[in-house]
Amino acid sequence: MDVMASEGAGPVPDTLKILVAGGFGAGKTTLVSAVSEVESLHTEEVMTSESVGVDDLAGVEGKTTTTVALDFGRITLDESTVVYLFGTPGQKRFSFMWEELAEGALGAVVLADTRRLSDSFGAIDFFESRGVPFVVAVNCFDGQRTHRGDDVRVALDLEDQVPLLLCDARSRESAKEVLVELVALVLRMELSGV
Amino acid sequence: MSGVPPGEPGESSLIRPYSVTGGRTRPSRSDLALTSQVVAVPSMDPVELDPEPGLLLSLCARPVSVAEAASRSGFALGVVRILLADLLDQGYAVVHSSEWEKRRPDAATLRSVLERIRAL
Repeated sequence: MDVMASEGAGPVPDTLKILVAGGFGAGKTTLVSAVSEVESLHTEEVMTSESVGVDDLAGVEGKTTTTVALDFGRITLDESTVVYLFGTPGQKRFSFMWEELAEGALGAVVLADTRRLSDSFGAIDFFESRGVPFVVAVNCFDGQRTHRGDDVRVALDLEDQVPLLLCDARSRESAKEVLVELVALVLRMELSGV
Repeated sequence: MSGVPPGEPGESSLIRPYSVTGGRTRPSRSDLALTSQVVAVPSMDPVELDPEPGLLLSLCARPVSVAEAASRSGFALGVVRILLADLLDQGYAVVHSSEWEKRRPDAATLRSVLERIRAL
């Protein structure tokens, strides 16, 4: 599109999209808030029980509706580059939203809670099947880094090239480390032609 | 604006968000991704606009993503897409979609992103 049309309103930045997935309570919103330059942003999508298959709402008063909440954050790297972090809605029935979020995503962070590791399976399967690069970050929000990374790797059946690290989603420094790990992975993939 | 009087039987949570779009649930164009940047065209005079698209246009005085326009306006994402698509069609605003939505950034860009995240 014609970027010059925005003359006077400042340059229009290019955007990168990073997804933050994980089970309910794994710390998605916490991690996004920890590193976002603005307070975690929030929007909602409203859909019918038939999801996207409706063109016109005349006479559909009886249909069941659902609201999907979407939390996200923003990091301005410079005037031409902005990173958006999107927390993915946890519920499986919102898969249409996952498809859109995955489209053009740079990569994803799967936040794992060691008490409920199986909550991460859905996200891992999804990103593997869509070819979205991802790292797994084990959220040690109890402050005790007692979980052994190797055990988690085995339990999640992660491939060797998938980085796994421990993090504290509340900590800005820790959240930054997770993002650095992800971008470094994407860079390695780019350099090796994957 | 709304064809459904408040409190009338049959009004649902679905009808209300979409009343400002005349009941339309799909935008007129498909190029409005969550991260697409929309920016108002300064020379266009928005006096003719309804309040809702007028509010969105005012949020686009500087480049703003579709997701942020939704967050700041408080309108549902689907509604924002429809209203922004109208504004684009009417020439009030333009959209810029990042090349990186279509292909991965090159190594030099990724290195720069890495450095800048480290430096945050």
